[in-house]
Amino acid sequence: MKALNICLYEFKHFYRNKPKVLAYFLFVLACFYALYSGKNLQKKQQETIVSIELKQQEAKTKILSWFDKGEKGPEDRPWIDVTIPFWAIWYTPTYAIKQPTALLPLGIGQTEQYGYYKQVTNWSSTYDNDMVEELSNPERLLNGNIDFSFLLIFLLPMLLIILTYDIYGLEQDLNFDKLVHVQTGSTQKWIMARLNFYTMLLLFTVVLFIVTTAVMNDAFEGHFSQIISLILLSTVYIIFWAVTFYFIITKSKGSSAQAFLMISVWLLLCVLIPGGVHQLASIKYPANYMTEYLDVNRKEAYAIFKLSPDTLAIRLKTIYPDLTKTKHGQDSIADEGIINNTMSAIINQMNKVAIDKIELQNEMKNKFIVSSYWYNPVSFTQNKWNSLLATDYNAYKVYRDNVQKAIDKKIQLLVFECWDKKKVNKDTYENYSRILR
Amino acid sequence: MKYILFNEWKGLFRNQLFLYLSLFFILALSVVTWLGIVQNQKQKEAQEQAKKHIRAQWDAMEPTNPHGAAHYGSYAFKPNTVLNSMDEGINAVTGNVLRLEGHTQNDLVYSEASQSLLISKFGKLKPSLLFQFIIPLFIIFLAFNTYTKERESGRIKLLLIQGLNLKKILFSKIFSIWLIGITLLFFATFIQIIFSSIIYDTNTLLRLLALVSSYAIYYLIITTLTVLLSFVFKSSTSSLTLTIAIWVMWSIFLPKIVGNAVENISPLPTRIEFQKAMNEDRSKGIDGHNPTGEREKKMEKETLAKYKVDSLSQLPINFDGLVMQADEEYGNMVWDKHFGKLYAQLEAQKKNYQRSGIVNPFSSLQNMSMATAGTDMFHHLEFLKQAESYRRIFIKTLNDKHAYGGSKTGNWGWKADNKFFKSVEDFKYNTPSLHSLWSKYFTDILILLIWVLVLLALVNYLSKRISIL
Repeated sequence: MKALNICLYEFKHFYRNKPKVLAYFLFVLACFYALYSGKNLQKKQQETIVSIELKQQEAKTKILSWFDKGEKGPEDRPWIDVTIPFWAIWYTPTYAIKQPTALLPLGIGQTEQYGYYKQVTNWSSTYDNDMVEELSNPERLLNGNIDFSFLLIFLLPMLLIILTYDIYGLEQDLNFDKLVHVQTGSTQKWIMARLNFYTMLLLFTVVLFIVTTAVMNDAFEGHFSQIISLILLSTVYIIFWAVTFYFIITKSKGSSAQAFLMISVWLLLCVLIPGGVHQLASIKYPANYMTEYLDVNRKEAYAIFKLSPDTLAIRLKTIYPDLTKTKHGQDSIADEGIINNTMSAIINQMNKVAIDKIELQNEMKNKFIVSSYWYNPVSFTQNKWNSLLATDYNAYKVYRDNVQKAIDKKIQLLVFECWDKKKVNKDTYENYSRILR
Repeated sequence: MKYILFNEWKGLFRNQLFLYLSLFFILALSVVTWLGIVQNQKQKEAQEQAKKHIRAQWDAMEPTNPHGAAHYGSYAFKPNTVLNSMDEGINAVTGNVLRLEGHTQNDLVYSEASQSLLISKFGKLKPSLLFQFIIPLFIIFLAFNTYTKERESGRIKLLLIQGLNLKKILFSKIFSIWLIGITLLFFATFIQIIFSSIIYDTNTLLRLLALVSSYAIYYLIITTLTVLLSFVFKSSTSSLTLTIAIWVMWSIFLPKIVGNAVENISPLPTRIEFQKAMNEDRSKGIDGHNPTGEREKKMEKETLAKYKVDSLSQLPINFDGLVMQADEEYGNMVWDKHFGKLYAQLEAQKKNYQRSGIVNPFSSLQNMSMATAGTDMFHHLEFLKQAESYRRIFIKTLNDKHAYGGSKTGNWGWKADNKFFKSVEDFKYNTPSLHSLWSKYFTDILILLIWVLVLLALVNYLSKRISIL
């Protein structure tokens, strides 16, 4: 019997088997639901970002109107003067935003663990309270979402079990397994051909969903290589499970034993090994309480506030050597007003040192996780998938780096403008807005 | 019945695969429970260290203005309960550190889940993972053909001819397999108690008992359902397929689908909307640092009248401290309104999720497991509430010192001494007693019991209705 004939025969077997067809359609339905829910999250994020941009624009328009009217700030706050750089920069709305990727519906990854927008001020850092995730139900976060990547990585192998657990097992149960050998010549090839049908069916389904989502989100132009990588990754992943099940089928006796072994392997690869690695990682690297960072923002910051303006001036010049070239850079006695307005640069520098240590500790934990990939293929696939969709830890690390760049830019502008004691007018303010956009 | 039960056990122990699997489970449970304790201990040590570090800084504070100290603030660390080693619940996805300071109620930050790449979608390998996913599956594999096997081999007819009752046979099969699950449960509990370095108080022991009881009830549900399906279906394969399908739906699909659905039914605001609404309400009160509004003027008038003086400088107290406290109290009303609404939404979501136990007893089990371990949302909210109550007392103590400690209005340079700061008590979280939470988990308990009763009644009913001869 040729492989194609066996495949066609298997197709007949499949569509006549109502539970299998139902399981397949349930999976397809779940995929639609997952993509819809991913799309919803993407839409919600985009809407929030639009509202932030609108708010930013409104704030900017308001400040520009002060310049037009010759006002220096809000009526009830007479100490504010936007014609000096400190207040002008303070009132330049600056946001760092992580735009959701066009492929987000294919997997939300760790998106719900992090914030994706941040208002940047002179006192900001990448571990501020507003860098945390959106308000959400923690028990829902614990259970996670039915997103497409979850269906592909965890449910698809389960579906493959439902579709294939009786291949050859049923024949063994009914005692006509020897007949199969007589009729086909090679039991292994016969099993492989039958298994191939289901592998191809699932592969086709997954690729169709990936391509359709990419087309609907207009993602081919900007994310072509990611889409190809996603298709390749899912192909390899599905084949990995098919090969594993092929060996189980050839070695087992009866459909019950086959189902039992398949489920056991699923549990081992999807639940036990990742869970074990998770537990070991937590023992080796317990959750960080960020005391170094807390110290900078409390004890050490307060110690800085107590230093004399001259000492602070020296520290500021160490961070920005070019300050000596500014109008007040050569003053023998530091201007207390300037120092007070720019000392956030020192705290920022201290924050960066503390945060580097935290990031390094996180990196060590990540290295430990990555080192488990050779025996933990499910976590590998999951993180690779998330990485292609820019929804993993590393993507948010890049976002944090961008936030830090925005903070640095704002503070650097503040420091140099303050030390030059620039006079701010409407044009200067618009220039600030352009720089800090 | 006793005889059938022992006979079932004998049959199981004669099966080598069963023996190997049981041995594997006992070993796995021992290692996993022990690792859970080690991990919990390490986390507790790290937390204790952080706590001491933060407190030492507070105790070492130089003479400072009390309001400056309110900005300096303190931190509360979300504690790990003893039973966190068995079921971590939501602890990995919620933050660990809460900043306590003047003028604002903060949120927990720095969750463990945000500190690394994603590892496991089903959480750490803790006893709860084995209890919830693996042992039920083991029970299913022991029970799925327990009856069909007898029918296919014709043994059931022989047993009935010998005078045995079908109902008794079925119940014996259910209880013999259920007892295996119970044995594994008790084994893990024993390891937990033996290897824990602390002596369990009554509350923890009660919690442990409730945790084990919840799993015991769930295992009875799983065993009864599997035997029932094995009884109803003609072939072992059909009963196994359906039981596995139910297991997948209950443990993997439904918790996620229902979780999403309840969030859609009672949606939460976005962080930006939440903050905006609070800021708007907050701006209507007294601004402690810039008190120029109507409320502040009224308060000044009242205070001057109370002390029978004409100007703030004549006051024997520091009016700034009173303003700060008034600002704080207004802020507290704002936080109560908005955080209260948020917590109410979360509790409404939880209630809806609990109701899903009617179709999915796994949700009720999950709720009970986290609840008894003290790692569910109610305990999380309880921690936030206790921390916020502490923050209010903490800030009031500082503001009172500012107002009545001996300084005069406008004297921002006045400083309280170190002795005063040392006398401010640290935050201490009191784990609520289990009986204070019964009302919250009543739905889960009731649903689990109803499932058991309905299934046992069904077995009883069908054993009389279905003819096998």
